[in-house]
Amino acid sequence: MTIRPSAVGSAPAPVLLGEPVGVTPDHRGSWIPSGALIATRFMELRKRRGLMVTLTLVTVGIPTVFMVIRLLLHAFAPKSYGPAGGYDIYTALISGVLYVFGFIVAATLGATAGSADLTEGMFRHLVVTGRSRLALYMARIPAGLAIILPLVAVGFTVVCAVCVFAAPTQLQFNGVNVPANLSSAGLEAWAADHADEVICNFGIRIGPSTPNGSTIGAVVNNVLCGNGPGGGPAIVKQPPGSQGQPLPSQPSQVQITEAARLIATMNYADYARQFLYPSNSLMIKSGLWLELEAVIGFIVGLGLGSLIGQRTVAVVLMIVLEVVLTPILSRVRIAHLSNLQRAVVGLATAHLAPGGLPVFGGGGGGPGGGGGNPALLPESTTVAVCVIVAWLVCWSVLGAWRMMTRDA
Amino acid sequence: MTTALPTSTDKQAAPSPWAVETHGLTKRFGENVAVNGVELLVPRGCAFGYLGPNGAGKTTLIRVLLGLTHADAGTMSLLGHPVPRHRDKALARVGAIVDEPRFHGHLTGRQNLQILAAAREREARDRIGPSLERVGILHRADDKVSKYSMGMRQRLGVAACLIGNPQLLILDEPMNGLDPAGMQDMREMILSLVAEGRTVVLSSHLLDEVERTCDAVAIVDRGSVVRQGPISELLAGTSLVLEVECSDPDRARALIAATAIGAADGASVTANPTGLGVSLPAGTGQDVIAEINRVLVEGRISVYRLQVLQASLESWFLQVTSRLGESQ
Repeated sequence: MTIRPSAVGSAPAPVLLGEPVGVTPDHRGSWIPSGALIATRFMELRKRRGLMVTLTLVTVGIPTVFMVIRLLLHAFAPKSYGPAGGYDIYTALISGVLYVFGFIVAATLGATAGSADLTEGMFRHLVVTGRSRLALYMARIPAGLAIILPLVAVGFTVVCAVCVFAAPTQLQFNGVNVPANLSSAGLEAWAADHADEVICNFGIRIGPSTPNGSTIGAVVNNVLCGNGPGGGPAIVKQPPGSQGQPLPSQPSQVQITEAARLIATMNYADYARQFLYPSNSLMIKSGLWLELEAVIGFIVGLGLGSLIGQRTVAVVLMIVLEVVLTPILSRVRIAHLSNLQRAVVGLATAHLAPGGLPVFGGGGGGPGGGGGNPALLPESTTVAVCVIVAWLVCWSVLGAWRMMTRDA
Repeated sequence: MTTALPTSTDKQAAPSPWAVETHGLTKRFGENVAVNGVELLVPRGCAFGYLGPNGAGKTTLIRVLLGLTHADAGTMSLLGHPVPRHRDKALARVGAIVDEPRFHGHLTGRQNLQILAAAREREARDRIGPSLERVGILHRADDKVSKYSMGMRQRLGVAACLIGNPQLLILDEPMNGLDPAGMQDMREMILSLVAEGRTVVLSSHLLDEVERTCDAVAIVDRGSVVRQGPISELLAGTSLVLEVECSDPDRARALIAATAIGAADGASVTANPTGLGVSLPAGTGQDVIAEINRVLVEGRISVYRLQVLQASLESWFLQVTSRLGESQ
């Protein structure tokens, strides 16, 4: 039996077409995704209503609801509930809510982007177009980031706005209401006017090397502190001849004032780290830090989703990593495994946390933020950056490799 | 079986006359050989049927051709471009439906096509509307695919093929889920695509549809192509069936069997409640049919109906595949 190309039944003469005339070269084999490819990937993700509602609720809704409740409570019962905003609320929301949930929602979006085409049967259609599989993978990265980064930014903006505009008007320092943002001289002047409260409430540690230690000691050791009018300790004045044993040498008001000034000077360093609301610098740094966390969550989720080919398992694994494994491995010191622990991406990002942010729910950030948190396993900034880059590259390579070799 | 291979050795320099060309193509899944040394030549500009029983390896061959899975051995080319070396060039002008067409259910038909068009050349976006119109779902283009029936998804799958202005369409069971009117539409569309100079490879188990639509076929069984060629040539080699309705089928059977016609190689006579089925060798002439009628009448058997049944692709397919089954 013979088959000839021109002798098949009643078919028309074969049309030997080469490359079609007038077709724009589309670099179909290139690994670089086209703008149209990215735009349609973005549309495909954005149109997932359930996913988008969930992402919005978690990144924007949770902090918004939290803030609204605090605003209402403070409005109706100001004595029982403090201001909705402020520095403390800010640090708690950023490191306790947005940091964790931002990562999880980004990972969820990434896992969806990495597996949806496969599970919904669209991958096959895309492969048949002849477009590079690597380009198909790469198109998901900017498309997904274009969704998750603004979402995290909106949630973060809500937190910042409330924390700044609904911040307390007075600062609580050592249990005393102190005006915020005073200079050293300003704090001394304020201390002179509130000498009783300063002497009885502010931290005082007098050692042999303490400047003016004798002056302060002479006052502090010769006054009695009782309940002041505001509820806090205050100097109890005992006129001579009154009931009880009079003090051997009651300090004069001038001595008390001078001692208060000196104590204020000693406490200024601690006081200067107390804020009514987060500084612009802290907000910018923590915003960028949150976005970094979201980028990591998305890229790792994308790679894992593409590798597994299934969204649910990938999301569960990411949640376990973020909520269970990372806090444990960041705090527990396991001999011989400390370098492996340092390779956990969550620990690395915690070390990059801006100063003043406590991470993993406690310990207080201190000046070094996560990096200065003594509860965390120590890690240098260079190592932390290397770990993050390694995670991003490794998961991208794994996801892309699986996409390029997978049967469609 | 012999095949006329193109003489050109440089597939890049001169366009191949074959839309699909495979040599020794093999795909294994563990111990199971799904595609076994397939030699397939699909001429350009025709409708080509790819037939085989369930599990014969039809879909696997298509998946290998399209680069959805890799081949373990052999060579192949699409539209003259060797695959997978020039896969992007080859697939640029290929449209395909493999298995059941599935799309993003949360998107509309048009949006799904936009995603696919973005993976193709820029002109593909302009073809979305005309493609949807051609397959008859333009009025539902902005409905979510999750609300589409199976038949509409099939049509959307064809539209997805058309946005690439393909020279070669590979359609895997395109009639699945279509109602009779839809099947008629699909048949007409395939014929119109062929009339435009495109090549359509139609994988199907609906032999009647293939016979109505295709110019040439390949029969695949157990991963191997066992026959291929133009349908007219293939059927020319099949036996002729004569259906006889008469008053005494048993005696008629004996009378015919006693003649030289009944004793000839390839001839057989079977009785059934209404008459006889006489199978005659390929190439049997009209005079033999007249001779059978004469024998019956002279034997005083009343002949009510004597009808020559045209050999169909289905009977030939069953013949080929059953013979294979017997031999194994």
